[in-house]
Amino acid sequence: MCKVSINNVSKTYQGNVEGVRDVSFTCEDGEFLAILGPSGSGKSSMLRMIAGLEDITKGEILFDERVVNNLTPAQRNIALAFESYALYPLLSVYENIAFPLRARGMSRADVDQKVRFVAEQLGISDILNRKPSSLSGGHQQRVSLARALVRDPNVTLLDEPISHMDQRVRAEMRARIRRLHNEFRLTTIFVTHDQEEAVSLCDRVAVMSMGTLQQIGTVDEVWNRPTNKFVASFVGEPEMNFFRGTIETPREISVATKEGKTVFPIAFGVLQKYLGTEIAVGVRPHDITLAVNKTEQAVLAASVDLVEFQGESAVVTVKLETRDATEARVVVLAEKMAQIEKRVWLGFRPEFIHLFDGEKTITNPESSNGQIGGARQVKEVRR
Amino acid sequence: MARVALENVTKLYGGKRAVDRVSFECREGEFMTITGPAGAGKTTILKMIAGIEKVTEGCIYFDGRLINDLSPQDRDVAMAFETYNLYPHLSVYENIAFPLRAPKRTEKLSAEQEQMRVEEIADFLGIRRLLLRRPTQLSGGEKQRVSLARVMVRKPQVYLLDEPIAHLDARLKFSTQTALKRLSSKLGTTIIYVSHDYREALGLSDRIGVLRKGGMEQIGTGEEIYHTPATDFVARFVGDPPTNLTDGELLTKEGKTFFRAAADFTLELEKKAREKASQVAHQNGEVRLGIRPAHVTVSKDRVSDKSFQLPIYAVTRSHQSTICTFELHDTFFQAMIENGVHYDMSERVWVDFDQEHLLFFPGAIQLSKK
Repeated sequence: MCKVSINNVSKTYQGNVEGVRDVSFTCEDGEFLAILGPSGSGKSSMLRMIAGLEDITKGEILFDERVVNNLTPAQRNIALAFESYALYPLLSVYENIAFPLRARGMSRADVDQKVRFVAEQLGISDILNRKPSSLSGGHQQRVSLARALVRDPNVTLLDEPISHMDQRVRAEMRARIRRLHNEFRLTTIFVTHDQEEAVSLCDRVAVMSMGTLQQIGTVDEVWNRPTNKFVASFVGEPEMNFFRGTIETPREISVATKEGKTVFPIAFGVLQKYLGTEIAVGVRPHDITLAVNKTEQAVLAASVDLVEFQGESAVVTVKLETRDATEARVVVLAEKMAQIEKRVWLGFRPEFIHLFDGEKTITNPESSNGQIGGARQVKEVRR
Repeated sequence: MARVALENVTKLYGGKRAVDRVSFECREGEFMTITGPAGAGKTTILKMIAGIEKVTEGCIYFDGRLINDLSPQDRDVAMAFETYNLYPHLSVYENIAFPLRAPKRTEKLSAEQEQMRVEEIADFLGIRRLLLRRPTQLSGGEKQRVSLARVMVRKPQVYLLDEPIAHLDARLKFSTQTALKRLSSKLGTTIIYVSHDYREALGLSDRIGVLRKGGMEQIGTGEEIYHTPATDFVARFVGDPPTNLTDGELLTKEGKTFFRAAADFTLELEKKAREKASQVAHQNGEVRLGIRPAHVTVSKDRVSDKSFQLPIYAVTRSHQSTICTFELHDTFFQAMIENGVHYDMSERVWVDFDQEHLLFFPGAIQLSKK
């Protein structure tokens, strides 16, 4: 296992098509890193360059301190796992695990010792003589992992590991993968377009778009402190709401309504130079509260358009009574659904308001005494 | 608008029962969704209502009138499929307007009326800016919306929609779903919708029918299906992470009733849960317990006399919550808890089941073992 460093890596395809542009990040030894992005964002090119399946046009990739640019995939000693487990159906579990070692010409005694050791660790010693087809999905996955582990890979690379599985087994599969990662601490990089999958598995997430790295951080950092409007709108389901506002004071913004304006506080300080500037205000559907009456917190009126039941929660689509009558979505607990009336008042927690000048985030964490956000995001969950 | 009723409808393909004695009534103006996994018979039901497939046994009625032998044209239904089938040589506008110009139509529209209708539907589905383009210039998601618009532009007795938004990515799916819901409430036309995605079903429908292996497991509102699933299959199919299920038996000791799943897991049941359990338990006391992950709480300290202690198998995240997975009686079960408290793998924690939300079933589906 090792640390993977990506230093100013670019990939240009024939005809000057830029696949990846000047990307730098590090995946620490034993870290589980997700590369998340829409299709065409360059995430798969990135993975293929790390694997050695594609040339690097510019920049360097290092495994620990060693530049691997010119090494073949085999020399890099990576374990590639794609969606399926790809076990050899005709070989026993033992032979499946032994395969990569035999391919290297290892002695029979050494192979036997290594296979039995890794099988013991993964709790599959008692099924070594069985054929893959007679195993449950969970066991097949363990065998597949044993085959990768037996070689002591430097890095494990996964491509959309579970996104095509049945929804009912996904939650369980995620738990399994996470458990195995905690036990073996393999350096793992996986690409996905599915944010739910990224969130559930990774230690940190790197968000890519149009060939460039937009942000890298823990899930809470990326969700609660997006560095730009793309990240803010790309992560989170349903999408973050945006509406026009104006910076009134370093601690207050206003929104133009039909009658005049509504002013509300923000938790982050904003630089003086933005005073009076029109900006985009972003609030996640989960971070808005709904009230039937105007209160100190619930200040912005809106009319309810639709309520969509989702099980534990419901998504309420409203039309804000702002001058531009923006549409917004609010997620409420399903048990509150019955209380929703035609006209409601929206409340925003100051620490969950995001401000953007064009594409750029302009909230300034330094001026808020280093305290970022409220209770929810301070208590970050680490594993 | 029509009321659609199915009475003991069966479809045999060779010897195989694709649809097995299905009965339901879709009220006038109702949005009804048929959901279930692949191969459950959803599309077959829709095709029988459309008249594309023959009914083997049973009756289908539109407004009380038997239509089994009516041709698809005479049923006045509009059906949308998962595939788009747009005319490549026509513009998006012309594709959408096409059904309005069909020679058999009795309702003739003037050019202005036609334009109004097309634009109205395009607005609803957010594709107005695409009207002058050709289908080849559209993305898959856009094509799917155009295809939906072409169906929704008509005003038939019933709309039959088969996975019309299945190919859209998550983001687009959500906004199209909202558009569809708005459109349906405005049109007020009877809609029968087929989807394998329970979220779509919950979000869109007035009522939902859950299908399993050709048979109807439950019909009800989204809330009924979600909160009081009739079978363990429904409980497991609707919700993510899925409802936890575990087998055990009911025991009575000193006037108290317990659910015992294994030597190391016994849960005392409160009155309401006890009543629910004994209604469905087998004679020998065997019963299957179900609980949604959101109704399981986890804490570092013991919170009630019914709390029990388990080691955490794994901790995963979703953005809004944390999911703790446990091993219980050779199956997995999960708790969905609020983000905030840090839990370690293998840490022993106290777990509580919300007794109000305990579900009990005789047990029909095969439980996956870990």
